Amino acid sequence: MNMAATTSKPWAGLSNKIASETGVAGIVFMILALIPIFVPGYTTYILPQYMLFGLLAVSLAFLWGFVGILSFGQAAFFAIGAYAMGITMKTSMGINPAYVGLLVSFIIGGGIAAIVGYFLFSAGVRSTYFVLVTLALSIMTEQIAVSQSDITGGWNGMYMDRITLTFFDLGKMVLSDDMSSYYAIFILVIISYLALRYLLSVKFGKVLVGIRENEERMTALGYNVSLYKTSAFALSGAFASFAGALYGSHANFVSPSLGGILFSTEVVVWVAIGGRHSLLGALVGGIIVASISNYLSAWTPEYWQLLLGLIFITVIVFFKGGVAGAVKSLYGLWLERHKR
Amino acid sequence: MEVAASVFVDATLITLVLALAAFGLAIIYGLIGVINMGHGALLTLGAYLTWAATSSGMPFLIAVVMASVGVGFVGLLLEHFLVRHFYDRPFDSLLLTWAFFLIMTEIIKIVFGTDFRNVANPLPGAIDFGAFSVPAYRGAVSLFSLALIGASAYVYFRTSLGIKIRALIQNREMASLLGLNISLTNKLVFVTGATIAGLAGSLLCPMLSIDPYIGNVYLVRSFFVVIVGGLGQLLGGTLIGSFVIGGAETLFSLAFKQTFAQTVVFLLAILILRFRPAGLLGTK
Amino acid sequence: MTEILRTEGLGKRFSGLIANQNIDFSVDAGTVRCVIGPNGAGKTTFISMISGHHSASEGKIFYKGRDITHQSVIKRANVGIARKFQTPAVFEELTAYQNIELAVLGSQCLQADRHDRINEVLQLVRLTDQSAMQAQILSHGQRQWLEIGLLIAIEAELLLLDEPTAGMTVEESAATALLINMLVREHNLTAIIIEHDIQFIKDLKAPVTVLHLGQVLCEGSFDDVAANKEVREVYLGTDEGRSL
Repeated sequence: MNMAATTSKPWAGLSNKIASETGVAGIVFMILALIPIFVPGYTTYILPQYMLFGLLAVSLAFLWGFVGILSFGQAAFFAIGAYAMGITMKTSMGINPAYVGLLVSFIIGGGIAAIVGYFLFSAGVRSTYFVLVTLALSIMTEQIAVSQSDITGGWNGMYMDRITLTFFDLGKMVLSDDMSSYYAIFILVIISYLALRYLLSVKFGKVLVGIRENEERMTALGYNVSLYKTSAFALSGAFASFAGALYGSHANFVSPSLGGILFSTEVVVWVAIGGRHSLLGALVGGIIVASISNYLSAWTPEYWQLLLGLIFITVIVFFKGGVAGAVKSLYGLWLERHKR
Repeated sequence: MEVAASVFVDATLITLVLALAAFGLAIIYGLIGVINMGHGALLTLGAYLTWAATSSGMPFLIAVVMASVGVGFVGLLLEHFLVRHFYDRPFDSLLLTWAFFLIMTEIIKIVFGTDFRNVANPLPGAIDFGAFSVPAYRGAVSLFSLALIGASAYVYFRTSLGIKIRALIQNREMASLLGLNISLTNKLVFVTGATIAGLAGSLLCPMLSIDPYIGNVYLVRSFFVVIVGGLGQLLGGTLIGSFVIGGAETLFSLAFKQTFAQTVVFLLAILILRFRPAGLLGTK
Repeated sequence: MTEILRTEGLGKRFSGLIANQNIDFSVDAGTVRCVIGPNGAGKTTFISMISGHHSASEGKIFYKGRDITHQSVIKRANVGIARKFQTPAVFEELTAYQNIELAVLGSQCLQADRHDRINEVLQLVRLTDQSAMQAQILSHGQRQWLEIGLLIAIEAELLLLDEPTAGMTVEESAATALLINMLVREHNLTAIIIEHDIQFIKDLKAPVTVLHLGQVLCEGSFDDVAANKEVREVYLGTDEGRSL
């Protein structure tokens, strides 16, 4: 294989890939931006929730695909974010409680992840045990939501309002209609995606990949590996919570099962299928698989879950990079073919 | 005094029941390093097969045997077609066995429906010891659990099979160089672990209402039992781990609500995991 | 000549097995020291204690005059101690460029200069043409160089090299000796090298410390050590002994 010798930009191959991922991302976002105009009604109502599931999937892909840390507990943060939002919005305060709620959710999710992460990573707890701890996190979140029913409403869940946007003194707008909710959430999801994409493209992200590839080597090079892992986990928890806060407010409701292991592991399935090494793959995978799941579950729940399980196995065994990975490989092959 | 005795007895019963449920997982995780996320599903399957057998008139004990064998067979299929190819990749086998859980749970739902099922308690009533009383069936299962662990201890410490197993734990590579047929051993261990999981589900089902997710209650707890006790410490570790987890649950549920007690127990287990990664009995 | 590393009475025990014992060792900055000895002499364990991967059972380690005996691997790496492992520890699935980049990211190099610095290091370790190739498809010798490149890129001052020429051709070994001598001479690096390749040791023209059964047997120039009666006895019958 004749590799280009002293290329002044050895990342050229990679930047092509990034360029194409940015291109695909642009197309995806354009489609999402146009949907409410062409498909109003129920789709416009429900799609924001799937976009938030997509963001939840992105938070997992960031951790799993790029740092190599599997978490079976992302839903815990999602639910924590939703509950934090609900509780904050019920509290009267000087500033718009919705804004505070979003900030609080982000911080609480990130904070809990940081504490748990630091506690375990600094002791060098092996990653397989970490997976089990995240599984336990989901169970604990669900149980706390159920048992602290005075605060959370227990099994009955918690109701909350739609976000009210306030623009300083210029006025306010309750996001009660589908269109405005859709675009508000759409914009926030894009910003979150871009923020995480950015982090992956700078030193921080590269170090994370280095840790994924050879943790021992990174330690021997002087990197504080446990600090990086904790930061990555904190970011993934923060964004998962942020997504949850938006979700709770959009769906007007949160219940304990939102944080439980069944949902947590569903997120893993979405990301595995969408592609764990691609934030966009996870985003689209989350949106599509979640929406298909919901649609088919109303119709033939068991057979769909069975099929999903089989797809999951196929992906784990044959398509580690998920759909995004397969698409990238095919694109690479196509480029090779057309170079000649 | 009476309260203490009764709490102690409760803790012991819970410990032994949990030990039975966790034993299958301890064997698989400890001996061949596979994180069997399908463990709960195997327990559930054992329960459902028992229900199916008893519903069609089979005596309870026969049903238990049939169910255990059935689950063992499913374990064999799982090992042969999937797990076998991923022994050196713990995360892949973790995800695959989780996929197995998802699929098995759906199959159970399709075949058995989602209504709660019940298997009649073959030993109803309780035995009164004055200071405390022991539910008869629960006591019997606990005794069985103790006997199983005792028999395993005998095999482990006093037979040539036991020596081979201990060699396997110490150093897989060495063991294979010394002539141990690794792939056959892996199969045997996995099937044994699966069979015991099925057995546990089968024996436990008269004490619960059966639904497709009952096994999952034991999944994470079993993992913590193994981690707290010490990976590779098959017997003492399982007992100590079960005692810590089970005992803590009993204790905490006196102070907190049941669901919250479990949360506290998990936090305790995570603390132990962090400060003693090799478990309470583990070395290093 | 200032001393950069000193150990006093350094020892390591692994529940019953004594790997190292009573090692007094000193090396000056800007020099090369070879550590040789038959298999099982405790050479790698000794290096591990200096890098921090193994904690010392007894004794002390001083780096630039400061007691680092209880410092972590990360801290030691950050003050300039870097290690090349016996089996090359590089980022297999990343390209040579990406490998060096990760090391450069951990150094004081400014962002604007990174690209040039990475290419500079690649050139030093003769991997310019392999810049876009994944580490795992490089030859064994090239991977050794890549790992040495990591140590250069991280701006290490004390290089601990564990068998750097293992798997290299004669020509590659000679080039490696030249590289190390150049780094030491022009960048004032210090190198402690565990080696079995006698020709390489001769090419380095550096003093030698001989370890045997975990202790220092003898120290001196290569010729002195090669002529030493005890050393020859210890190596008697080994391939290395024959070429001494």
